[in-house]
Amino acid sequence: MLEIRGLDVAYGDYQVLWDVSIDVAAGEIVAILGPNGSGKSTVLKAIIGLCRARSGTIRFEGNDLARLAVHDRAGIGIAMVMERRRLFPAMTVRENVLLGAYPAAVRHDAEARLGWVEGLFPILRERGAQPAGRLSGGEQQMVAIARGLMAKPRLLLMDEPYLGLAPKVVLQINDIIRRINAEGIAVVFNEQNVNLSFALAHRGYLLESGRLMLGGTGQEMLHSDVVRRVYLGE
Amino acid sequence: MTAMPIALYIEQIVNGLVAGSMYALVGGGIALIYGTMRVLNMAHGEFYMMGGYAAFYLVGRSVPPVLAIPLVAGLLFLVGAAVQRLTVHYLLRQDGWLFACIAATLGLSIAFQNLALIVFGEDYKTVPYYVEGILRLGDIRLPLQRVLMLLVAVGTLLAMGFLLKKTRFGWALRATSQDSDAASVCGIPVSRVHMITFGLSAALGGVAGAMLAPIYSVSPWMGLPVLFKGFVVVVLGGLGSFPGAIVGGLLLGIVEALGVQITSAEWRDVFGFALMIVVVWARPWGLFGKAP
Amino acid sequence: MFQPLRLNALLTAVVAALVVLGLPLLGVGSYVLHVMILIMIFAIFAVAYNLVTGYLGLKTFGHHAFFGLGAYGSALISIHLGIGAWASLWIGAALAAAFGLFIGLPILRIKSMAHVAVVTLAFAEIVRLSCSNLKGLTRGELGLWGIPAFQALHLPLVGEVVFSPANKIGYYYLAALLLGMTLLATAVILRSKIGLAILAIRDGEDAAESLGVNLTRIKLGVFAVSAFMVGVAGAFYAHYVGILTPSAAIGADLMILVIAMVLVGGLGTFAGPLVGAVLLTSSAESLRFLDQYRLLVYGGLIVLIVLFAPRGLASLRLPGRRVPERPA
Repeated sequence: MLEIRGLDVAYGDYQVLWDVSIDVAAGEIVAILGPNGSGKSTVLKAIIGLCRARSGTIRFEGNDLARLAVHDRAGIGIAMVMERRRLFPAMTVRENVLLGAYPAAVRHDAEARLGWVEGLFPILRERGAQPAGRLSGGEQQMVAIARGLMAKPRLLLMDEPYLGLAPKVVLQINDIIRRINAEGIAVVFNEQNVNLSFALAHRGYLLESGRLMLGGTGQEMLHSDVVRRVYLGE
Repeated sequence: MTAMPIALYIEQIVNGLVAGSMYALVGGGIALIYGTMRVLNMAHGEFYMMGGYAAFYLVGRSVPPVLAIPLVAGLLFLVGAAVQRLTVHYLLRQDGWLFACIAATLGLSIAFQNLALIVFGEDYKTVPYYVEGILRLGDIRLPLQRVLMLLVAVGTLLAMGFLLKKTRFGWALRATSQDSDAASVCGIPVSRVHMITFGLSAALGGVAGAMLAPIYSVSPWMGLPVLFKGFVVVVLGGLGSFPGAIVGGLLLGIVEALGVQITSAEWRDVFGFALMIVVVWARPWGLFGKAP
Repeated sequence: MFQPLRLNALLTAVVAALVVLGLPLLGVGSYVLHVMILIMIFAIFAVAYNLVTGYLGLKTFGHHAFFGLGAYGSALISIHLGIGAWASLWIGAALAAAFGLFIGLPILRIKSMAHVAVVTLAFAEIVRLSCSNLKGLTRGELGLWGIPAFQALHLPLVGEVVFSPANKIGYYYLAALLLGMTLLATAVILRSKIGLAILAIRDGEDAAESLGVNLTRIKLGVFAVSAFMVGVAGAFYAHYVGILTPSAAIGADLMILVIAMVLVGGLGTFAGPLVGAVLLTSSAESLRFLDQYRLLVYGGLIVLIVLFAPRGLASLRLPGRRVPERPA
């Protein structure tokens, strides 16, 4: 459903991605792995449109995304949970979640989806009237995922979903991602820790210094020499 | 201080509230734009000026004020949206956009002033009161024009409050002001929100200009002093906070009305600016807000 | 970046200096000298404004306050204390610098550019309103007149130099001298260790912190120097035109004009303010018949420059030349 070919991305004169090609099939969970500064985040940002591709194509269900502005990509079935949650801190939890259903294409059945999302995250009902900025990091992550799901995505991007969360919360998040995935939603997330990633992901891609080094299933990747070299410097 | 009948005091305070409600309209507009775009709009006084001229020509062609005021608001909305789309929209993408926006709106301000000078001439235009008559409550006497100003300001601000709190667009605007990237990821068309916000801000300024036109006269230069008042108001209320601007506006209006007893009108603005500098020095987030 | 002086830059500077110094010897009329004097006054102002806004990165919008303080300060001192213009000029400039220190302290504490803009504007308004309200001292908008001119000088070789409306040559060379001193001071500051720190400040406070310099003190010092320079321009202006009104000497129009000059020439470049002062002053004078449209054009010009040539005209005019990229 998602097809990235030969993606180059640069910030000014500083190129961060070189010729990256990635595929995601419908209903898959894909991890993008790599050390700090390898360009993992940039891949996700390029898919949603927060940074522009210098060259290469990104296609979603056959449509070239290059012509679509960031806000239009939400309406066609892509949602993103941003790094560090990025909730609207002064708005209530409920307002945050409902804003996820802003695109006209997904607005009509927002109420029904709200019921489903509230089933996944009971906290939304309990603390719906509180400003989102008052929640703990783990709680904010739940709200951020809920906000993403309100856009009725077929592809959910998660930028560093585990960042700054307690181990117990990480397990909770994993559980939720599995339940989301069981609904047929493809998930792409990035993470540094290989073992943690393959507790969840079906397949993964390894980035180093902005170049794609390897792609494969969890078993292939966990036993790969390249992964060992990149992470352990062997 | 000379002893003054209590009714006169109340009159002063009410007059202060009326003036303050106008400051709140102007300051609210500056706050909206700064809050959503972090742009300090130096041309805001000219939206106010255009509102004054629009009222002068509409009322002069015997359009009833009931119609004229909404027309002025609509007209200024279009002007504001156009200004944003043609200038600020592009500047927001530049490297040094903070300074670029201040400089560009300063340039616009000067250009609009002198355009008005060429088009409308340098004579001061007077606009008749929209309503004649005086409201009497016991010893308190209030010209109906001032009552109308207060009502229009309260009505406009309530409508803005409703828009911000209860409508989809209001949610989108608040989301954009808190985190524009996250807003666009949610599917909110940030550029359009910016443009509409500019339009709304201009409309607020235009309504203030139209309502004050019968009190002060209309001239190309009427915007600058009001812009400065607006700055004082938004700094008092915390730059970028719409409710803060309203409270700041009312506060400034009342303080000025009572302050006339203590000092001459000439020095009033000096104290206003000095107060503002002290507030920026001591509480840059405003009198009421919390430190970040 | 402030690069080492290259040969052609040096040559341009020498030629420009020779032209400026030689112009009166060509027997040009008094009007041309007048325009040149205005250009040089504005050039001092623009260079000083650029020092703070372009190099230091502190975007102020109230520098016209220092012009007014220098002008009124020097004029009032020479009128009331009977001190000659030669001395009062420096006292007026020192007054501007003192106010620069006074207002510089609070604005240097502020991180938000919008707050700096509002505070500096308000400060200039306070100065203007005060000059306008203190009618007993300044005569307000009626105008302060009777400001003494510079006393005549007896110079060896040259003989007597007089300063009068009829003979502008003295004013001309004095303005050139003051502009030269301003440029020299600016160059010295930018090429010193302080200059390095200033550029580091512009490119990021962290980088400057790591140089181990006291940022606040340097910024404050440069701000005061800039205020002093603008004060000199104001004081010279006062004794040159002989009459001051708050709206002419401290009006926001003045600031807008200087901002336009600096933007046209190129913010944060050494020659930019000079180019801008020459272009805008001379075009304003040669388009006198368009007087009504002058401010409209300046306002529109600022908008266009900011939109289409944010690095100034120099970056547009020479398509072949590479414009140095500033690191983001």
